[in-house]
Amino acid sequence: MMNPTIELTGLEVQLGGRTILHGLTGVLNSRAIGLLGPNGAGKSTLINTLLGFHSPSKGSARVLGLDSLTNGKALRSLVGYMPENDAFISKMSGVRFVRYMAEISGLPPAQAMERAHEAFVYVGLGEARYRPVGTYSLGMKQLAKFAQAIAHGPKVLILDEPTNGMDPPARKRLIELIREIREASDICLLLSSHLLRDVEETCDEVLILRNGQIASICNLVEERRANRKFLELETIGAEATFTSTLEGLGCECAVFTNGRIKVVMPDSVEIREVFRVAADKGVQIRRMNHRRDSLEDIFLNAMEQTGAADGRI
Amino acid sequence: MAVYKRRYNPYTGSLTPEWSRFFVLTRYAFADLFKARFFVVLLVLSLVPILFFASYIFIANNKTAQLLMQLRSAGLFSVETQYFIVIMMVQTQAAFLLNCWVGPVLIAGDLTNGAVPLFLSRPFTRADYVLGKLAVLGLLLSAVTWVPCLLLFSLQAGLATDGWIWSHLWMVVPIVLCSAIWILMLSLISLAVSAWVKLRIVATGVIFISFFIPAGLGEMFNAIMSTRWGILLNFSYMFRLILAKGFRERSGLLGSFGWDEIPVAAAWAVLILVCLLSLVILNARLRARETVRG
Repeated sequence: MMNPTIELTGLEVQLGGRTILHGLTGVLNSRAIGLLGPNGAGKSTLINTLLGFHSPSKGSARVLGLDSLTNGKALRSLVGYMPENDAFISKMSGVRFVRYMAEISGLPPAQAMERAHEAFVYVGLGEARYRPVGTYSLGMKQLAKFAQAIAHGPKVLILDEPTNGMDPPARKRLIELIREIREASDICLLLSSHLLRDVEETCDEVLILRNGQIASICNLVEERRANRKFLELETIGAEATFTSTLEGLGCECAVFTNGRIKVVMPDSVEIREVFRVAADKGVQIRRMNHRRDSLEDIFLNAMEQTGAADGRI
Repeated sequence: MAVYKRRYNPYTGSLTPEWSRFFVLTRYAFADLFKARFFVVLLVLSLVPILFFASYIFIANNKTAQLLMQLRSAGLFSVETQYFIVIMMVQTQAAFLLNCWVGPVLIAGDLTNGAVPLFLSRPFTRADYVLGKLAVLGLLLSAVTWVPCLLLFSLQAGLATDGWIWSHLWMVVPIVLCSAIWILMLSLISLAVSAWVKLRIVATGVIFISFFIPAGLGEMFNAIMSTRWGILLNFSYMFRLILAKGFRERSGLLGSFGWDEIPVAAAWAVLILVCLLSLVILNARLRARETVRG
């Protein structure tokens, strides 16, 4: 049986006498895991604990079956890490910096050189590889960090806020690269980001943290498969009979203020049915937005909820 | 990940042994050092005295050369214990200067831009990191202290007659041991300073201060308390004491102090304590992440 990608068992981490992570328990099996949460939720602390930078005060954290505390070195030999903050050696040229890091990971010098060049070309910094990293723009530094994380061919790629400071085209390109890498190999991905879209585009499973606790673990693949469709309506003249008729068709309705109604549509119901009911009941539909349940909904829901018993929604 | 294909491929090749990876840091640090012309000049200058010492040994053992130079006094050239003490004193001072230039940049460069987490997120421990940086100073300072000193010893042993080598072989131990503790102390102090102070000029100043301020405080302590134990804060003197005891040489090195006034064990203890203190500083500073307080 394959080991789960990440397994947390009552993980508690204290820093400076303050508890940052409060007994996290959960199993994440997907190959691409997103880590979400507001500032101070404990995302970076969790990543640092997985890398063995912080020792758990209670419980344990495992990545691919390797304990972060007792098998730290073996675990880190599988990891490519892109930190959130600046992390480079400013006077080194980009390609030398990546080669240096690849050699530290254990690649022989010749192979490290070859992989460093390839990684730089791959991330789109081929032209700038001989320039000192200190002269790079913020976006280029992010890409250089990404290059050093992949150059040694890790089995687990940990990316902490990878698209920070990148303009939209560069962000799009980086997200494409992450997806490409995920699909081209059996690499496992742990991506922490404030941008829900980044996580939605690259990950299969999401761990949402809030105040150092698990707010939710959500399998995006299953969510996508469920394919729940929503209609967001702005109406005039909608009364209880309108929503009850829709509910009679199998829809779920939530009524908000100012005539706003959220309708969950079963697969059997078409949108024209809604128009027909509105016409019958003399309801004006002033605005209609048709969409699926997004990660934003899941995230906001998790932030509002006090948390389900097992953390799953 | 072929360049022309622009496609990611995992690495499947061989890996270097884990124990040897600390040396990658050493190799890169040396490559960077030798790019600086000033460093090369400093290194050459610190080796220049060795040429004079070697010439002296050659002349001391060559009657023809002495005659050619019209030197009549047979006792003028003597290569004995004191001569090697002089070599050690000169070369350890050269090592100090070299250390002041090289040491401050070794860790500061990595800390300034947060590169330490990149090292420590690999199968690479903090001990490996310190060992890699320590090896830079260890190799460099060895190259100007005990290695040339042993070469000069070998030169003298080869040129001298009457079994000089057998009667002086014991000197190999103090040459290596005294150099080792000096190199270790210098290296650890400068690494600790490098981990603390980011600017080279300030770091160099701090290294100088870490030798002179405690020595001054020790003198003040001696004057106020009418004692001599304040000398323990004078690290250079502690090294001279170890050197004097190691070479069994009473004259010159101990200044106004008597032969048994300060035990050599105390000198060793002080230097080892300084090394431990430096390691504590390194341990505190070399973290992948700053600890959040509050």
